[in-house]
Amino acid sequence: MASSIIKPGLLVALQELQPSSPFFKEGQSIRVTGKLQSYSVESAIAIIVDGGATLLIDTQHLRDINFRINSIYQFIGELLIPHDGQVVLKARIGRNVDGIDLNLYHQSIRLRRKFEADIVRSKTT
Amino acid sequence: MDASRYAHVKLLAADFLSLAVSSSAPPTISRRGRPIYRAEFVGVVVSRDRRPKLLRFLIDDGSGCVPCVLWLNHDLLSKSSVFASGDDLAASAARDHAGKVNLGVLVRVRGRVTVFRGELQITVKDVLVERDPNAEILHWLQCIKLARDCYDLPLAAVTKV
Repeated sequence: MASSIIKPGLLVALQELQPSSPFFKEGQSIRVTGKLQSYSVESAIAIIVDGGATLLIDTQHLRDINFRINSIYQFIGELLIPHDGQVVLKARIGRNVDGIDLNLYHQSIRLRRKFEADIVRSKTT
Repeated sequence: MDASRYAHVKLLAADFLSLAVSSSAPPTISRRGRPIYRAEFVGVVVSRDRRPKLLRFLIDDGSGCVPCVLWLNHDLLSKSSVFASGDDLAASAARDHAGKVNLGVLVRVRGRVTVFRGELQITVKDVLVERDPNAEILHWLQCIKLARDCYDLPLAAVTKV
């Protein structure tokens, strides 16, 4: 197990995955959360939605996960951004997070980013 | 006696991975001048490597991946130990903990902060599976609050009675 190879999945809201966002990079490791809108067994592609934004999730490498429409799921994986085509998250981790307080989750992400920025600042000073 | 030696400091992975490690032997590990001996994390298991004597795994909390090691060699130690029954219990507990560590599971991990080949890691004592997804959010907020109200305070301000 090479710990340096596995990057952390940065916490990102689906609405933030716009081309202008610093998280919108090919191969970026991110963690996303959303309600399962649809799932195709043939293609293993799931579509999750949160706050009006959607994202395709490639779930072919996931094991031991059952998909239920309208349940909330969290995925950690790498962004694939084709030149012509829809952005897909190639998931390596997936879990059901039914019961999560999404409002609290998003507020907490904002607090965490400020805190983590302070950690980086304190390291450099 | 330093009471903080036995407290498990709640940290985000980014905070843990930026701890200062001294060059002394054994190394001392500190955060803003405050020695850190034990820590607690909550995150998702993103890798798992089981060996005969130990289990290595990574937990990801979104700010970093914390390397964890859970020793499973208590059976070997107990053969020569005068505290054999204690080691049996420790071995059984370690095996139970190892069984909980599966990919994609949200876990709470507590243990000693150690250094292996120059890298910080946690030598795990306890593993608890968190079934409520809000437990992770609560941990983040506790990390932030404790850092602000306790861990970031100058050590002299805290030890003054």
